Amino acid sequence: MKLVRAEFLKLRKRRGLVALAALLTIAPVVIGYSALSYLHATNPADYGPAGGTDDLAGAVELLAQIGLVAAIIVGATAGAGDVGAGVFRELVVTGRSRLALFAARIPGGLALLLPLVAFAFSLAAGASIALAGSDQAPGPELLLRYGAWIGVGSFSAFLLGVGVASALGSRAMSIGLLLGWQLAAAPILLATGKLDAVLPNAALLRLEPGDAGRPLSISVTTAAVVLAVWTLVPLAAGAWRTRTADA
Amino acid sequence: MNDYIVETEGLTKRFGERIAVDHVDLRIPRGSAFGYLGPNGAGKTTLIRMLLGLTTASSGTVRLLGRPVPAERAEALARVGAIVEEPRFHPFLTGRENLEIVAAARGGEAEGRIAGALDRVGLGARADERVAKYSLGMRQRLGVARALLADPELLILDEPTNGLDPAGILEFRGLVRRLVGEGRTVVLSSHLLDEVEKICDAVAIVDRGRVVWQGPIDAITEGGERTILLVVDDETRARPVLAGHAAVASTAQTPDGLRVELVPDAAEHAPADINRRLVEAGVAVNRLEPSRASLEERFLEITSRLEEAA
Repeated sequence: MKLVRAEFLKLRKRRGLVALAALLTIAPVVIGYSALSYLHATNPADYGPAGGTDDLAGAVELLAQIGLVAAIIVGATAGAGDVGAGVFRELVVTGRSRLALFAARIPGGLALLLPLVAFAFSLAAGASIALAGSDQAPGPELLLRYGAWIGVGSFSAFLLGVGVASALGSRAMSIGLLLGWQLAAAPILLATGKLDAVLPNAALLRLEPGDAGRPLSISVTTAAVVLAVWTLVPLAAGAWRTRTADA
Repeated sequence: MNDYIVETEGLTKRFGERIAVDHVDLRIPRGSAFGYLGPNGAGKTTLIRMLLGLTTASSGTVRLLGRPVPAERAEALARVGAIVEEPRFHPFLTGRENLEIVAAARGGEAEGRIAGALDRVGLGARADERVAKYSLGMRQRLGVARALLADPELLILDEPTNGLDPAGILEFRGLVRRLVGEGRTVVLSSHLLDEVEKICDAVAIVDRGRVVWQGPIDAITEGGERTILLVVDDETRARPVLAGHAAVASTAQTPDGLRVELVPDAAEHAPADINRRLVEAGVAVNRLEPSRASLEERFLEITSRLEEAA
């Protein structure tokens, strides 16, 4: 537990990281609902109420897109922060198991990330109900499913960040690589419609409670397996590298 | 209890074709300040990294505190503190928080030692400032404080006076001697001969990855070439007497007098015989004393002999 608290301390004291993670999770929801509310208030004929089920889907998808960037950055920082600062060897000379040092990065990082994601989602959920107006407000079951979905998405992106950064030993390189994949390569490959069975973003879309926007050719089970592989393989690589690399 | 706190046998580290540490057999006695002395690139840090399990050995064995490493690495390192190269910290954390991170990894009573360790190195008053604001000397001292969290039986310090000003170096020497006085063993890796000579009780000299000499500092400075320092009333008359003596290998003028190097197999009473010959030749001998080689001279002598052999 002390190791986890130490990991959390290292992350929460990075003021820039905390500000960026908050910005990338909470700001899209706040800005999105503020814009929709403004449009509805100024032009109710063309723009319906800001809340309701449809706008909840849009807000959560936006949170998934931008919030996953935060998850990757927090994960990469947790994964490579000690190595980057040269502190990892100082921890290794304590005699503590390297795998224990690696494992502590996961709950330590989640302790920073998940409250931000949960807060952002709570804002979206609250707004979707409070601003539903004449539209259908989401029920508890749909809210729970969306909450679980954004949780799974954030969790898997965070683990991907931890694993890749631990394996590469470089925070900057890992963030660059993963954001390039997440924001450029993966959407292009998804658009081809031929690689759904191997792409993590296809898997995440398949698991989305609402309409994914286009038909996906994979089952829920396949989607779960794809997501698991995309998180467990990098994690295993990161653990192996942490255990075996010269410190 | 084993007399040696560190024992290595045939310890070797290869990086491809290059051998950084070459069959090192090292025995470091408990309760001493031990210098691991060698020029830059001699393999000092690589050896320390192997002792601490930061890198694996290509071959050979290590025992720390009587325990085999890496088999019982965790147990051995529980009472070992170390600074390897320049101590590194998270710059956005305070000095105290950086120690909390390491204390969390150490577990046990380490957390309770933080305040005492900070006070001991004189950082108690500035412990709550971010490390980014620390000078290099303060970081070195924080590194020592971090090493003390283990309540170490063995402290391994790699080039610990880097970045310290003269007052800091003096203070550091005192700290090391106090730690040794408490029964701890301090291993000091350095390329600074003067520093090792002033702090350490025993030394190992390493050159190109190999330990070429180890033993007490007194033994190393007494060994080697036998020389005597002569102060006479008339050096011009003394020189031919010395040149004609079978025990004299060479004579050199120094600011302190004539430095007379004896041949390796010179008899024990050779200095007395030289004195008698000088007096018989009418030269007044004001002073005659064995000249004690400095560690620096012995170090250069040993390493240059190796270069010639190579």
